[in-house]
Amino acid sequence: MAGTDFLALEGVAKSRGGRRVLDDVRLSVPAGAFVALVGPSGSGKTTLLKTINRLVEPDSGIVRLDGADVRATPAPALRRRIGYAFQGIGLFPHMDVAENIGIVPFLSGAPAAGRAARVAELLDLVALGPDFAARAPRTLSGGQAQRVGLARALAARPSLMLMDEPFGALDPLTRDELGRAYRALHDRLGLTTIMVTHDMTEALLLADRIVVLVDGRIRADAAPAALLAGHEDEAVRHLVAVPRLQAERIAALGARP
Amino acid sequence: MNPSLASAVADLPPLLRGHVLLSGAAILIAIAIGLPLAFWAAGRARVRMPLVGLAGLVQTIPALALLALFYPALLMLDRATGARLPALGFLPALIALSLYALLPILRNGIAALQGLDPSVIEAADGVGMTRRQRLLLVELPLGAPVILAGIRTAAVWTIGAATLATTVGQPSLGNLIFSGLQTEDWVRVLTGCAASVALALIADGLLALVETGVALRSKPRIWIGAGLLALGLAAALLPAAGASGQSRPIVVGAKNFSEQYILASAMSDRLRAAGYRTERRDDLGSAVAYRALAAGDIDVYVDYTGTLWTNVLGRRDTPPADEMRAELTRRLADRDGVRLLGALGFENAYALAMRRDRAKALGIASIADLARAAPRLTLASDIEFLSRPEWRAVAAAYGLRFAAARSYNPTFMYRALTDGSADVVSAFSSDGRVAALDLVTLADPKHALPNYDAVILLSPRAAKDRRLAAALRPLIGHIPIVRMREANFMVDRDSGKKTPAEAAAWLLSDIH
Repeated sequence: MAGTDFLALEGVAKSRGGRRVLDDVRLSVPAGAFVALVGPSGSGKTTLLKTINRLVEPDSGIVRLDGADVRATPAPALRRRIGYAFQGIGLFPHMDVAENIGIVPFLSGAPAAGRAARVAELLDLVALGPDFAARAPRTLSGGQAQRVGLARALAARPSLMLMDEPFGALDPLTRDELGRAYRALHDRLGLTTIMVTHDMTEALLLADRIVVLVDGRIRADAAPAALLAGHEDEAVRHLVAVPRLQAERIAALGARP
Repeated sequence: MNPSLASAVADLPPLLRGHVLLSGAAILIAIAIGLPLAFWAAGRARVRMPLVGLAGLVQTIPALALLALFYPALLMLDRATGARLPALGFLPALIALSLYALLPILRNGIAALQGLDPSVIEAADGVGMTRRQRLLLVELPLGAPVILAGIRTAAVWTIGAATLATTVGQPSLGNLIFSGLQTEDWVRVLTGCAASVALALIADGLLALVETGVALRSKPRIWIGAGLLALGLAAALLPAAGASGQSRPIVVGAKNFSEQYILASAMSDRLRAAGYRTERRDDLGSAVAYRALAAGDIDVYVDYTGTLWTNVLGRRDTPPADEMRAELTRRLADRDGVRLLGALGFENAYALAMRRDRAKALGIASIADLARAAPRLTLASDIEFLSRPEWRAVAAAYGLRFAAARSYNPTFMYRALTDGSADVVSAFSSDGRVAALDLVTLADPKHALPNYDAVILLSPRAAKDRRLAAALRPLIGHIPIVRMREANFMVDRDSGKKTPAEAAAWLLSDIH
C-alpha cells in the first residue's frame, strides 16, 4: 500500500567511498506523522533525510511524495515545497531577519506586499516579537536564530518538514522549550515531520514514531511506548536503555530522604 | 616652471590616457575571465590546483619578459593566420597585463567561495535556490569583500606594470620614465613615477570605497566608488573616440637613447609642419624597431646601416659605405617593401678617439698611426667593446696591441681619458662628449670598422606617400656629425640640460 502514503521510501540505497551508507531502506509515513530518525553517529540518518529533498541523490531506489517520484520535480522547486531546518541553521548573514524568513516566497516570486504580512505572522508563530524583523542574524542568540530558521522553513506553508538535529547546538533549557514549541506547531499546522536526532530522550518525548537506523539499515520502527517496552534487537535495546536508566537514577535521587 | 618639468607635464595627458585605457581594459578583461573561472573551479579540486598553479607561474615571469614575449607570439600568429594582428602597441600589452592581473582575481575568487560558511550554502540549497540564485544572492554578496580585495591587488599591480608597455610601443606613463632614464632627466622620471603612483592610489582608494560599501551594505559608497571609476575610464575614452574619425596618424618610432629621441622629434616636427598628425612610439628595442616598421606598426624611424646589415640581412662582411647603403636600399625594398629614404649625413659608429693635444703630440691622425704607438698606450673601453666583432676586426686589420686595456662604464671611460689614466677610448662617433671634451676620432683608412650611417627608413605604407617623403627629405645629408654631437650633448650634459624636443628644434633651425 506504499502508493497511498504521503511519503514513501522504496529500497533507497547509497554508497560513499565503497561503504554502504544506506542499504535498501524502506519506509512509509502517513500524513501528519511525527517521525524521529535515531541511531549512532554514521548510521546514515542525515543522508536518509537528505534523499527526501534531493540534497542527496540515492544510487538506487525511489522516494515518493504524495505518490510522485521526487525526481519528477526539479530540485529547487521540490525544496521550496519542503521545510528544512538543521543544526547549523545557516541564516544568511547579509540579510535581516525579515529577508531570511521571506526568502522562499521571494524565490517563488510572491509579491513584496504580501511577504511583509507573512513575515509578521511567522515571527508570531515562532514566538518572536515584530521588532525582530529588522535585526541582523549576528545579533540573535542561538535559540532566537533557530526560531528564525524554523520560521524560514515554514514560510512557504510546507506540509512536510525535514529537521536535522535542529536543537542540537542549544542549551538544554532552550532545547526543551523549543522542542515542545515545535511539537505544538506540528500539531496546530497539521505538518508531517521527519526529525533526525541522536538524542533518544528527545525522540521519545517528541515523536509519535521512532525509526532506529544502524549501519544504513532500519533496525526498529515503533511507537515510543512500544520501544520502551522492549525490542528484540540488542543495539536498539541498548539505545533505549540509556534514557530509561538515567530517568530511573534521577527518580531514585528524588526519592531519597 | 623648470623646463624639463614643463615638458614632462605637457607630454602627460596623452600618456595618462593611454595608461588608464590600457590598465582599465586589462583589469576588466581579467575580471571577465577570472571570476567565472574562479566560480567554475572553486568546487572542482582537480582543476583548482593546476589552474591557480598556472596563473601563479605566469606571475613569476617578469612583467617585462611577458610583454616582450607577446610581440613575437603575435607576429607568428599573424604570419600563420594572416589575420593582420597588430603585434606592437595596445594588443600585446593588453594580453600580457590581463594575464598578469588574472592571478589575484582568480585566487581571491576561489578563496572567497571556499571561505563561505558551509551551513549558509546548505541553507541556500535547502530553501530551494537554483545554482544561479545561490551565486547571485548568497555567494557573490558574501564573497564580495575577498573578491574585491583581489581586484584591488590586480589593479595596483596592473597600473604599475603598465609602465612597461612603453617597451612594446604602447604609450603609457612609462614613456616619461624610460626616456627620462636615457637622457638622465630625473624630473621626467619622477613625473612619470608620481603620475603612475597617483593613478594606482586613486584606483585603489575608489575600489576600497566599493569594498567597504559592500561590507557595510552602503549603496552610496558602492555607487560613488564604481561611478568615479567608470567616469575615469570614460574620460580616457572620449578624446580617443573624437580622434578616430580622422585618418591614421603617422607613427614615428625611436630606440632608447638621446640621439633617437632628438631625431624622432625632428622628424615629427617636419611632418606636423607638412600637415600630418603624428604619434610617437619610443624606447623600441633594436630588434623590435625594424620588424615593427616592416609590419607597419610604426611608419618612420632612424636606424644605422651597420646594424641593419648584420641584424636584418645577417651579413658579416664590411663593404664600403656607399655599396652597403645601395645594397640595403635594394634588399629592404624587395624583401619588406621598406624604403631607405637616405642618409642623414653622420655616423654613429664605434670609433677610437684621443684627446686632441695628446694625438697631436704623438703625431697620430689615423688608426694606422696609432698602431705604431699603441704598445706604449692604454685603451679605455666601454664594457662590451672588447668582446665585440668591431674590436676584433680593427685589432686584426691594424695589428693593434695596447700596453693595457680596461673596461669602464661610459662616464668613467671619458674621465679616465681626461685625468690621463688612459690615452685612447672606444667612443660612439656621434656622442656629444667627443666635441665637448675636444677629442679627435681617428681615421680608419682600411675600413675595418663597419659603417653606421644614420638612415631614415619608411614603412611600406609611408613609402608610397610622396608628400611624406618630401617633408623628410630636407633632413637627408643635412645633419653633419658636429651638429648631431652638439645636439646630443645638449640633452646628455649634466648642467643646463635641454629636452630632446628643444635639441630637435635647434637641429632643424638651419634646415629649410
